[in-house]
Order: sequence, then structure tokens, then C-alpha cells
Amino acid sequence: MSVTPPFDEMHNADGSIRDPYLILDEWLKEQPPQALSLMRSDAESLFRRLGITFAVYGSNEGTEKLIPFDIIPRIISAKEWRRLSKGIEQRVRALNAFLHDIYHRQEILKAGRVPERLILNNSAFCPEMMGLDPARGVYSHIIGVDIVRVGPDDFYVLEDNLRTPSGVSYMLENREAMLQLAPELFQRLKVAPVETYPETLRRTMESVAPANAPGSPNLVVLTPGIHNSAYFEHSFLADQMGAELCEGQDLFVENGKVYMRTTTGPERVDVIYRRIDDDFLDPLTFRPDSMLGVPGLFDAYRAGNVTLVNAPGTGIADDKAVYTYVPQIIEFYLGEKALLKNVPTYNCTNDEERAYVLEHLEELVVKEVHGSGGYGMLVGPASTRQMREEFRKKILARPDNYIVQPTLALSTCPTFVDRGIAPRHVDLRPYVLVGDDVRITPGGLTRVALKKGSLVVNSSQGGGTKDTWVLED
Amino acid sequence: MKIAIRHQLSLAVGVGAARAVQHVLLTPLSGPTQTVREWSIDMPGMEGAASFLDGFGNRARLVTQVKPDAELLVTASGVVETTDRNGVLGRLPGEPPPALFRRPTALTKPIGAITSKFRSTPRDGQSRIALLHALMARVGEVLDGGEQSQSQDGASQSQTQAERPPSADFAHAFIGAARALDIPARFVSGYVADADDTPAYDSWAEAWDDGLGWIAFDPTRGVCPTDRHVRVATGLDALSTVPVRSIPAIGSAQVLAMRIEAAQ
Amino acid sequence: MLGRTAQNLFWLSRYIERAENMARMFEVGYRMSLTSRREGSASEHLISMMQAAEVEEGFSRKHKQADVNAVAHYMIFDEENPSSVRSCLLAARTNARSVRTALTIEMWESINAAWLEFAEIRPRDVTGARLQELLGWIKQVSHTYRGALLSTFLRDAGYAFSQIGNFVERADNTARILDMKYYVLLPRATLVGGDVDIQQWTMILRAASAHRSYRHVYHDRYKAWNIADYLILRPEMPRSLGFCVSWINRTIDMLEEIYGARTAGHDAADAVTELLEGTTVDRIFEYGLHEFLTEFINRNNRMTDALAESYNFY
Repeated sequence: MSVTPPFDEMHNADGSIRDPYLILDEWLKEQPPQALSLMRSDAESLFRRLGITFAVYGSNEGTEKLIPFDIIPRIISAKEWRRLSKGIEQRVRALNAFLHDIYHRQEILKAGRVPERLILNNSAFCPEMMGLDPARGVYSHIIGVDIVRVGPDDFYVLEDNLRTPSGVSYMLENREAMLQLAPELFQRLKVAPVETYPETLRRTMESVAPANAPGSPNLVVLTPGIHNSAYFEHSFLADQMGAELCEGQDLFVENGKVYMRTTTGPERVDVIYRRIDDDFLDPLTFRPDSMLGVPGLFDAYRAGNVTLVNAPGTGIADDKAVYTYVPQIIEFYLGEKALLKNVPTYNCTNDEERAYVLEHLEELVVKEVHGSGGYGMLVGPASTRQMREEFRKKILARPDNYIVQPTLALSTCPTFVDRGIAPRHVDLRPYVLVGDDVRITPGGLTRVALKKGSLVVNSSQGGGTKDTWVLED
Repeated sequence: MKIAIRHQLSLAVGVGAARAVQHVLLTPLSGPTQTVREWSIDMPGMEGAASFLDGFGNRARLVTQVKPDAELLVTASGVVETTDRNGVLGRLPGEPPPALFRRPTALTKPIGAITSKFRSTPRDGQSRIALLHALMARVGEVLDGGEQSQSQDGASQSQTQAERPPSADFAHAFIGAARALDIPARFVSGYVADADDTPAYDSWAEAWDDGLGWIAFDPTRGVCPTDRHVRVATGLDALSTVPVRSIPAIGSAQVLAMRIEAAQ
Repeated sequence: MLGRTAQNLFWLSRYIERAENMARMFEVGYRMSLTSRREGSASEHLISMMQAAEVEEGFSRKHKQADVNAVAHYMIFDEENPSSVRSCLLAARTNARSVRTALTIEMWESINAAWLEFAEIRPRDVTGARLQELLGWIKQVSHTYRGALLSTFLRDAGYAFSQIGNFVERADNTARILDMKYYVLLPRATLVGGDVDIQQWTMILRAASAHRSYRHVYHDRYKAWNIADYLILRPEMPRSLGFCVSWINRTIDMLEEIYGARTAGHDAADAVTELLEGTTVDRIFEYGLHEFLTEFINRNNRMTDALAESYNFY
């Protein structure tokens, strides 16, 4: 455990309340003893009735759980947010420019700023995307950047999530729940709205419709189906945007164009927000055994008759090994210094760094390069000797399969737990939309590790969520 | 040389399919070694097909049918005029950067018996060309079992076609070895108008040289392609140049008829 | 609207209605087994009820003895019985999940809450009075869903598909409930019109929630002729075949208005309508009640295929 206590977003070191939390603090003090428990059970039955659940990987099929929702909002000041969003915008612009470059002339590889092998030999690189010109040059339209905070002005980007970031429905439903549970708080604080997200998503998708689409393009959300862990989110977004929610079987390709099967026959589809992974998107081009995809979809995309949101092959830019080069990527395309910091990352293929890593496993975090959701991960300070031994062997066997980072002292926020209000570690995933402009929804999904001292915020590992309030000036 | 080609394939999509979709790569493009005089592909659904360039710069077509017959007939035919440039293609516009073709694939795993010989051979400038020629010869030796020396005219009397591995294996072995030596190399499919050979939809390879650009090598025949070779498609390996991919499909497309006639 | 959405709405309504009717049919079999011991054993009543519900074959593959507990479990909780209440509620919820965006919040909540509550029930706790209570609850679920649909659902094609599903299923079930009399051990000639016969007819009326309203309409004893009239032809009886068919026609005409064309679905609806139009109870009895009901069920079944074909279900 770190010696200095982690940064708490509500309290200064001397116990006084930080500015953004003053009104919340007052409000909390006004609440009668049972009020918070009541609010929590109200919130739970609200979420359960609405069917906001997620499926846990590896558990019985059909098992649905609620992600615990913490009723104490996390608050970010307008000034803090401006700073953050500038940094995020810079990052997503640079990463989209990077994607365009590596799928065209590959200048950054020629210039030697990013090792050629790291990109071209990477399984996340999609050669089928070479030379394709997506509408407005945008590859990743929908992004969720994972950010952690370690001090008042100290933010780190953990992951860029340029493929299919999930969780935005929780951001929206958490706000809905807070509006129902504590309307009086919204009267006292000016909280920036997040409810505009579905409309902004719609605008973003419309702005990247193919050139030959009609004035009002037809948008759909493509889901793997009701057994997908994020199905709730897919249907929620489709509903909120007023777009049709389609499965692969609802779409087909004819004469180079994509159609959906309606009660009155085929209807042309122009922009697809697909929540199916690249590999399963089109059995004609990618995995031939995919039952989820639409045969011919990728070719229709290449022929310019439909837009895929996000584009296939964006995974190369959020590959954990490529992540370490993001500061160089920003400099290369924008000529600016990165505004948000990367977490320093040790490269295990380097003998010296590996030696350091193996000696300091109990202080470090080890992640699988292609892992996600907190699986295949070692959190040093919380690990047992046996776990460390296991990872030592894994790293030695496949040093290129792991990245290692120091354990960050994630900031804490007041959280309502069994024994009352206590600090718990949090991270933040703001949602970014890129089309005719870059738009960042003020707020995002705050994930909170509900176990005391835990740094793992993933819902699959016992994490919960909070509503995130960005204050307006 | 003027080469007239007629290539007919049959594709089984099964009885009762509601729809079928094909990705068709059967269109040669004009370039430094060939000018396409006329070319057409005839198959059900071709009228509405989408035409586009794929990731490797090939002209691809997306063809669909509603309630297709169980068997589809595909006929590609036309006339291509070729020039012998000793296999040198140079730099072609609209193609992906050569570095892409260092990407390893499952089909192009390097074969130790081939690469081991060249680990320390110099690979730049003039020596690269020599190295590639030596590599081509070594691929022939190893895949032909190392016994028979490769006859230079391309037709070997002592071996029947059936005994030799298919030409794609030669091309993959060459590409795998070149990539293992850090030289970009790619797979080429096309037609070869051999004077005394069965006409075939064939495959060979191209390797990159910073000075000359792309240079073609036909390791099956042990020669650099001449005006008897018509390029159709390039890619990382045979998978990216399959002439017709289909969903649904029962097996791969079968060649029904092939006619390749060359005239000066 | 996606063809799959139309299909899901259609089946969603059917499953909800079916869950209700399974509860009704079981209730009748259960009551008969408790009260009419003089004609046949308890298990014979349960078996004839299951024959009418078309679940008897599946049941006897799994069970040797038709006792109340085994039958209750099979018809209410058994996952392997595709028509059990559990299977119907799960199928309804699965269909609802796939068309969430096409449902109103109220419709979704009623199904979701019903499923969550049902999934919590431990079958072995449900006996005696609890069983009766559960049967009532199942009917309530169906009413709640239909209430949500009627008061919140946009009157567009989705509504029409839901309603057609609802009434195709209900017509099927009423026909089967009525046909149960055919499967029940026919009373000896001397007993026709006797206590047992009357008791059986009562059960059938009860299964259709019609035993009290019957009195208001006929001011008469329970008579086969009246009961057939009531459950087949009476337009004001909300579970009668005539009532169901008139709703099928009304809603399929909505589809014609929305889409501007008649389809095979309309022809199938015409075929069902023809069977009822201009007929009388006398003629039905002359033709044979069982034969008439069988023909009705067949024609009614054809609706589903015709709709699938006309509106791109898949």
C-alpha cells in the first residue's frame, strides 16, 4: 500500500471540503439517517424494473445482474472539466489521424516514430482497411477514454477504447435515477446535461453518412442479440436515437447496398452503429463461421454505400502496446505536447525493464496486451505470493503479451457503503463523439471499486457506478 | 504479346438458399507489364454488382443473387496485351506501402530449410536482386524434393503435375522466406500462357526492392515472369486473392473450363 | 418496422395469452379431479385436460402417474414443456427483450416484473391454496400486460400484430377448452343432463371465466346447446370464437389500411370467418362439435403462416 493517502475528491488533506463538493456536503448533512438507504433501495428497484442488467462472462447463460449504483454523485468543476476535455479532444483527433495514416501512406512508420512491426504485424491491424476513405476521414466515431486521477491536477489516461466502448447507457440511466431520487440537489447545483448524448450520437452518425445517402439517412444499431452482455445498452441507444435495432439476420446486402427486412419489404440502410466485433461483422470478409454478421457488409462499406461506426481496424490504435506511443502520435500529427499523461509503462521485451518488473511485481499492475474487463490482470499490492509467482512465469514465457505499469493511487470519492459514507477508489470514462466535429458529453461513467482499498473498478469484478456531475460556471 | 483468356468457374451455393453473396477478384488491371484490351465477367447478379478497389489495390466486385440456382456459373474473359520487362513492375500508383507485405500470415510461415541458407547474405542494392534469385532457386530445390534440378524452360519431363506441390505452395514458401529476411513480398494470382502446359489460373510472387520497386518471381517455374504472365490480383497470401468467395458456399469454386491463347 | 419485430410482437402476445390459458386449463382439470370422483379417477380428469391442452404426450413421456403435483409441475414450472407457464413467460420476456425498442415502458415493465417474480418461486412451495393463488396471479399477469398494451401502445402496425397474436391464440385456446368435453369420459347416456354432465360443463364455463356471465345472458340452466352458442358464436362474450375472429378481422384490416394492400393473411382470416358466419349451433352439432372445433383450430393455425409470409417474419 502506498504511504501517502490517495487524493480524495471531496476532502482536502486537512479534512475541509473541496469547493465543488460544498453543496453536496450540506445536502448530505441535511439527510435524515435512513434517507440514503431508502434512496439506494429505490434506485435498485428502479434499475431492476427497467431491466438494466449486464451478463457476467463465464457465469451461467442468462444470468443477469445489476451493476451496483452508488447514490452519491461524483462532482467535477467546470475548470477541471475544461482541462480534461481539451486533453481528450487532442487525443481523439490525433488517434483518428493516426488511423488514417496507417491505413494509407504510413508516414509515421516511415518516420520511425512508431515501430513498423508493432503495427503491421499486429493482429488488431486490419489490412482490408488499406486505402479506404471513410466519410470525413473519421475511423473512430464513438470513443470512451478511461481516465484516472491521482491529484487535483493530475490525470492519466489508462486506455483509449476506440472500438466499441460500452457503458454510455449507464451514464444516461444514472442521471435519470439521480433526477428522480434527488431532484432538489439539481436545483442547488448547476449540472451540465448528459441527456443530449443520444441526439448528438444521431447527429454524429448522420454527419458521416455515405455521399450517396438521401438527405435524411437511415441509421440502425447492429447488435449481436439479446444474449450479448451489453444488449440492454444496444436497445437503449437505438430507442433513444429513434433508430432501428437490428440483428445480423435483419440486414442483407443486395446489389452492393445494405437493406433491412421490414414488414413492407427491403429498406435501405445508410449508417450502422455496429456493436459486433470486427471478426464477426461479415463472414464473407472476416470469420466465415460468424453467424452474427451480414455477408457482404464490408464490401458494401468499401464500395462507399454504407458507413460503419466505428470503422473496422480501429483496435490497432487502442492496442495496449501502441498505447505507450500515444504521446509521440500526438506530437507527430498535431505538433503539440500531449495534454493528458500516459501511465508510464514497462516493456517486458526489454531485458532491463523486465528485470525491474520481475523484482517489483508487488508494486506493479500487469495487464494482458489483449485482455479487457479486468481479466488476466495482476494488481501487485493486492496480490498473493502465489499469484505473483504465476505471473512471473507468464511474463517470462511471453514477455510481449504483457504490459506493466506502476500502481496508481486512484483518487477516492465518498461512497455510500454498508457502514455509511466512506471513500472508495474511482475512475472515469467520458464519452466522445467524432463526426463533423468532436463532441464530448460533460460527465461520463464513474466506476467505483466498492470493496475497501480495492483498485479494480470493473463491473465484472465487483465494481459499481456513480452519476458524474460536471458543474457549469 | 496478345493473350486471349476465357476462364469458367462453377460455384455451388446449395439448394434453396434465399440469397447468395460473392466477392469476385477476377479483373486484371492495366500496368507496366500489361494493358487490358477488353475484359468482362459474366455471372448472375453482375448487372447490379458493386465495383471497388480492395485493400491491396485489386479491382473487386460484390455480386449478389436472390433465390440463386444451386450452382452459379462464372465466366471471366477478355484480351490482355503483355510486355516482357524481366519481371520488373516498379512502383504502382494506388497500392499500399510495401512495408505492409512484411506482415506474416499463417500460409506464409517461413520454411527453415529455405531461410537458414540466407540469414547472413547481404540484402541491399544489387545484392538484394541476387539474393531473391537465389531464394527462388532454393524454393524450387526444397519443394521439388531437392533431387531434380529445375529445368530452365519451365517444363519438367521427369515429373508429372500431380507430384509437384501446387504453385501456391511455391509462392508462399518464397514469400515466407523473403519476409523472414525482412523483404516485403506478396502473392500474385493470374494466368500463365505456357506454350506446352495446361493453361491455368496460377500464382507466383513479387518482392520489393527500394531501387527497382516490385519485381516478380515465379518460383514454380524458377523464372521471372515474362510476357506470358497476366497479373490479376495481389495480396498477403492465397487467401487474399481467392478468385470467388461466396456465402453460402459448398466447397470452393471449381474450374470448369480454361482457355488461354497467346498470339504475337 | 422490421419483419422480425412484427413477428416478435405477434408471438409475445400469443405467449402471454397462452400462459393465461394454461393456467385456466390446469385449473379446470384440477377442480374436476377434486370434485367429480364419481365419473373416472382424478388422474383421468387430469389426463383428458392435458389432451385438450395438447401437452399430454409430453407429460406421459416423463411421468407414469398423473397426480396433481406432477401435472401442476409439468404445466406450470417444467422448462421442458414448451407450453408450460414458465416456458411461455420466459419466451414472452425473450421476445420482449428483442423488441424492447418497439414496446412501451409499461408493457416492458409488466413482462419483466412478471418474469422476475415468477423466477423467484420455488415450485415445491406451491401446493394447495398457494397453487390456486398462483393460478390467479398468472391470469393477472396477462391482464396487466394487456392493460398496458391497450392504454399505452401506439395504434400502428405493431399494435395490429400484437392484437392478431392475442386473438389467434385466444381463439385457439377457447376452441380447445370447449373441445375438452370431447376428451372427458363421455357420460353414460342416462347421465346426459345429469349432475356429472352439468358439472363438466360448469368447469368448461369456468375455464373461460364465463360461468357467471352465462346466467346473465341465458337466464337458464347450463345446457350444452347454450354453452356452445356462448363460447362459439356470441359476439359479446370476450373469449368466444366469434369475438376473437372479429378482432382478428378488425386488426388485420388496420394492416391493410397502413400498408395499402391485402395479403395472404387476409385470405386466411377470411377462411376462419367463413366457418362462423351464418352458422348456428344446430348446424354445428349436426356437423359434430369436435369436428367443427378441429376444423376451426386448423384454419386458425394457418393465420400464423400466412402472416409470416405476408409481412416477412423470419
